[in-house]
Amino acid sequence: MGEFIVNIIHRPEMVPEYAEKVTGHGQAEDLGRKALLTESLDIFKIQQEAAHRNGLKTTIQMTYASLFNDEAVALAKHDHAVYGDEIATTLLGLPCEEFRKKYKTKDFCIWMFDMDMKKAVVDDVFGKFYERFGFYPQSTGSYYMDAALINYIKEKYPMVKCAVATCWEEGPKAYHTCNNSWYTLMDGGPWAPWIPSKVNTHAPAANEAEDSGIVAIPHLSRDLLACYDGNGSNFGTHPQNVLRGMVYTPGQFDESGNYGGQSYPYLYNLIDQYRYQERFNNGYSYNMQFVGPGWMNKMGRWEAPYELLKASYEDGCAYYGQLKKEGKLIDMTMSEFADYYRQKKHYTEPECALWRDIVYGSNKQLFWYCDPYMRACVNMDQGGAIVDLRPYAAKLEWEIGIGTPHVQECAYPFLIQEKYRAGYFTHYAGEGTVRSAKICHNGEEVDLCLCRTHAHFSEEPLPGGRKARLLTLDPVEIVFSDVTVKLQTVITFPEGESDIRIDRHVLEMSDPSAEITINEYMVACYGVNEYPEDMTCVRLYANRDGDDHALSYAYKCRECQVAQADSVEAKIPPIKTRVTLEAQGRDKVGYYREGYAFSPMFTLGYTGTLKEKEEFTTWLKLAREN
Amino acid sequence: MAQAGKGKLNYRCPSCFMRDLDIDMFYDSEKQEYYCIRCQYTGSEADVIAKNEMARFRYRFINKRFTEADFEKFD
Repeated sequence: MGEFIVNIIHRPEMVPEYAEKVTGHGQAEDLGRKALLTESLDIFKIQQEAAHRNGLKTTIQMTYASLFNDEAVALAKHDHAVYGDEIATTLLGLPCEEFRKKYKTKDFCIWMFDMDMKKAVVDDVFGKFYERFGFYPQSTGSYYMDAALINYIKEKYPMVKCAVATCWEEGPKAYHTCNNSWYTLMDGGPWAPWIPSKVNTHAPAANEAEDSGIVAIPHLSRDLLACYDGNGSNFGTHPQNVLRGMVYTPGQFDESGNYGGQSYPYLYNLIDQYRYQERFNNGYSYNMQFVGPGWMNKMGRWEAPYELLKASYEDGCAYYGQLKKEGKLIDMTMSEFADYYRQKKHYTEPECALWRDIVYGSNKQLFWYCDPYMRACVNMDQGGAIVDLRPYAAKLEWEIGIGTPHVQECAYPFLIQEKYRAGYFTHYAGEGTVRSAKICHNGEEVDLCLCRTHAHFSEEPLPGGRKARLLTLDPVEIVFSDVTVKLQTVITFPEGESDIRIDRHVLEMSDPSAEITINEYMVACYGVNEYPEDMTCVRLYANRDGDDHALSYAYKCRECQVAQADSVEAKIPPIKTRVTLEAQGRDKVGYYREGYAFSPMFTLGYTGTLKEKEEFTTWLKLAREN
Repeated sequence: MAQAGKGKLNYRCPSCFMRDLDIDMFYDSEKQEYYCIRCQYTGSEADVIAKNEMARFRYRFINKRFTEADFEKFD
């Protein structure tokens, strides 16, 4: 049996998000309102009790506001002494009277401040923490921690070893769900713990030189299918997220005013599917639960009365506690986890997730892969198409905060993102981003995106103690008017190589003498959200024998084909990325296609021919391009 | 007519929820109805609750408890 590690994190947030804005409706803003402060601390106590009652230790992330509160400080010291909880700090929870008076701003997201302000706030928080506890914290965090912020903290406070550093796929979808008022734009990062690089937090470090010095954990463990498609805050290991998503059956009050009868098997399925991931990650899997007090306020939230909000948190802790009692869970503090992770993982070891739909009742299955060179999503419901691709190999410098080009935008840019750039299906014209293949015969054409299947995970050794992770898809049948083809796809991620290899095997043909054409293609662009970027910076190449057939993108719908091309590639300067396709197979012809204004994409591809028992292989390679 | 306020719970607009928008509704005590400030939905508390039930139509696994054996088993 593998090891399932859980971090339970609580923060005494004296002015919780939501609480002042929502429950204080009808009253003038007052961050020092006594009832608000008292309720916030009461919620923190309830959360701590729920964890301890179930035998779970926590990490107490003291907020700036709580460092001014003697009772909150005393509670943290007590629970550290009695339960072994770690006393840490968070850069969330800045809003309070003291902060407003000192900094004269209502901003509260550390990554959005200018660099001088980031340093001032960090020094203030850490200094105040030292003043109250007599030591510096080993763990910290926020919804997002940009690289410059982490580097500063690590330089000034080298004892910090762990941080909450992103919230998985919290980006345009969360922004839209909040009526375009919630600016956590941080798509494209890891969903599970990682070691951030010094240059870009989302891109894992490939070696010691790139190592930022901390182990990062995601803010919550989120549903890797539902959050990719929909609002992230509905589907995570945060019991009130499940209530927000309405993925539960409500209970009711009895005559005595007690609430009961609610059920949320989805919460437990989500935890269990995370546990299942140890099969794909060297016997290790991870969960994180981090609920801000505002989600459990007395006024109720998301149609849920306080009693249900509280019960759901207690039920979540009870399930983790039950797993611990059964020997299926190891609870750790954040700093303990950082030490564990450093021992358990090596830099180039990927994080893998084979994830099925556990919400909607479909048979959809995704595979997520993340290493220092890429994050990729393979969609088995689209024949193994790559539907999301982030080129971490570029280790893109991306300054964040006021005074930089990205005041709010933290996402790692994509080459492929089927939700924001259409994927296989487009309306009326143009193409969407996806990496797939078309099988053609006598004028008929079938895209593998329409061949629904499932996949199986395996590993193979590589030189140097490395391993390749293989995804073997169940064969699919492609039916033409005069021949049926049985085809199997194998997708290989060789560790540390920045490549994705795709093999297509023709297993059978109803007419063994028939020949089919394969068109391996990748439609891509670059961006961080739904809206197109200027593509005129892109250069396309089809390389053979030193001739590159270069083309500067100008939306002119041009194409280039080169028989026996060594490679076809695109260089995308704004994201410092070079993406290359290479192929091996009969009659291979490399090509690129420029897009046009209504289809601001480019296509790289290879065509070839296949008969029964033959194979066609391609390699998608990512690199930094300066 | 007096201003609207919050109802007894933070009811969101069920119509907006179904398009992945979380919009808290306000309560018109004179008409005894919730209304959405973003779209055109209005309804009594009973109607909101009924529509929220309807919104759950897409969660076909809402009552299913998966076992480890189910995660790679498909119909």
